[in-house]
Amino acid sequence: MSVVDATLGAGYTVGDFLLIVAAGFVVLAIGMLYRAVKGPTMQDRVLAVNVLGTNTVVILAILGAALSEPTFLDIALVYALLNFLMAIAISKFTVERGGVL
Amino acid sequence: MTGTVSPAVAQVTAIEASLFVFVVLTALATAFARDVLAAVIVFGAYSLGMAALYTFYRAPDVAMTEAAISAGVTTVLLLLTLAKTTRIDHEAVFESVNYPAAGAAGLLFAGLAITMVDVPAVGSPDAPVWSNPDVTQWYLAETYAETGVENTVMAVLAAFRGFDTFGEAVVVFAAGIAALIVLRREVFA
Amino acid sequence: MSDAPDVDAGGRGDESGGRDDAGGKRDADDGGRDDDRSGSADPPRRSGRLDSETRQGTPYTESQVIMSTVKVVSPFAFTYGLFVTFHGGGSPGGGFQGGAIMAAVVFMIAFAFGIEATRQWLANTVVVALAVGGTLAFAAIGLLPVALGGAFLQYDLLPLPILDPVKYGMEAVEIIGIAAIVSGVLMGLFFVLARGFNGEDSGPSIGERDPFSDGESPEDGDGVATDGGER
Repeated sequence: MSVVDATLGAGYTVGDFLLIVAAGFVVLAIGMLYRAVKGPTMQDRVLAVNVLGTNTVVILAILGAALSEPTFLDIALVYALLNFLMAIAISKFTVERGGVL
Repeated sequence: MTGTVSPAVAQVTAIEASLFVFVVLTALATAFARDVLAAVIVFGAYSLGMAALYTFYRAPDVAMTEAAISAGVTTVLLLLTLAKTTRIDHEAVFESVNYPAAGAAGLLFAGLAITMVDVPAVGSPDAPVWSNPDVTQWYLAETYAETGVENTVMAVLAAFRGFDTFGEAVVVFAAGIAALIVLRREVFA
Repeated sequence: MSDAPDVDAGGRGDESGGRDDAGGKRDADDGGRDDDRSGSADPPRRSGRLDSETRQGTPYTESQVIMSTVKVVSPFAFTYGLFVTFHGGGSPGGGFQGGAIMAAVVFMIAFAFGIEATRQWLANTVVVALAVGGTLAFAAIGLLPVALGGAFLQYDLLPLPILDPVKYGMEAVEIIGIAAIVSGVLMGLFFVLARGFNGEDSGPSIGERDPFSDGESPEDGDGVATDGGER
């Protein structure tokens, strides 16, 4: 009986609440997708993909808590460390479109 | 899936549904984006959604592979390839739809979607995985005793089907050599 | 991209003249960027063609933000890659994932400190040794039990003195086999893609010794020249 199984009320546990929160973060990611696709400039897209990556880290962490699977944090860590690589790669690429790397 | 009460099922579908919407939207945007760089960026976002989906379905090894390969490697390699090509400037955000190609893709999708009816639900006790529970349960129960590692996926990869894994490793090695041959080089430099 | 027309104009002139012209121009450019590129040290390799100058050998500009951040992040990312590799038996991950993370750390360093500098630091020998050594190690671990009268990859026949041969045989396959192959091949793909396609000035290519590309390099040069002429 962990914290996740504690009842919040009306049959919902803390884990269910965390799953709803995770779904909300996914909805926010869908909203951010608009900027990644439409984004008039490449800087918008770089920022959008960075936000999406951070968002995914949060979603994975919440999923790990909600489903009582601490190993999910390992995947969140991979994204936290490699999302940065994606950001610097795209941002350096946007300067003269790969003319400068 | 221990939560069999109906509220839990409802929320499970909520996050699944939102993740599906995210993945399908990113896939469509990748396919239709006019600018290749935008397509690469949105493809990175697609991999984020896929990793979250794999994670939710309790496949952390697959999710970690998706994370490491797509966030770390695929985007960088695609960007490097783009840096060697020339750019075509266009105002439009999306590619105009090629209707014959879209029709062919739609037909393929319809053909695959027909089979979806027969796919059992996630975690369903009627799934073929459980029709012979001796096999699946044996792997889950006996892996540690047989091999001494706790991660069943790794035990299957490295021990129970080690020869296949050797083939995969050689395929990766051959991919490096193939890149050298295609680019007409003798060294990776 | 701003200096592309100048280089192009130099390239369309007399061949040797164009080469000198471009070399001088690059040296002038490099004055502002200090000695990040070793390019100014070997002017004879320069051809003065547009694509080889601005596309194949992409110049490097340093960014203080990226360099400082990569200095902080890369040790942690590399350590985490090692953890994923070595701890694959007890948590998600394994050789493939860990090798990919470690290769991604090298990409990170290359983006921050220049691909050319990274290429010199991480020589071709290292990359090839990782890929080939990993494959050979995997094959050796697999074939050793066969030599001892067992089946391929029959771990319990491995002659390990104290340790459990099954567990540590699997770990050895993951660590010195798969992780080495994946990280080596991915780093190699990165370097070979960063170098581009068969540029004359782009380092050691198959070149004269190879029967396939004998006499093809002039065509290549022509193709590039017309490409530059269209601009």
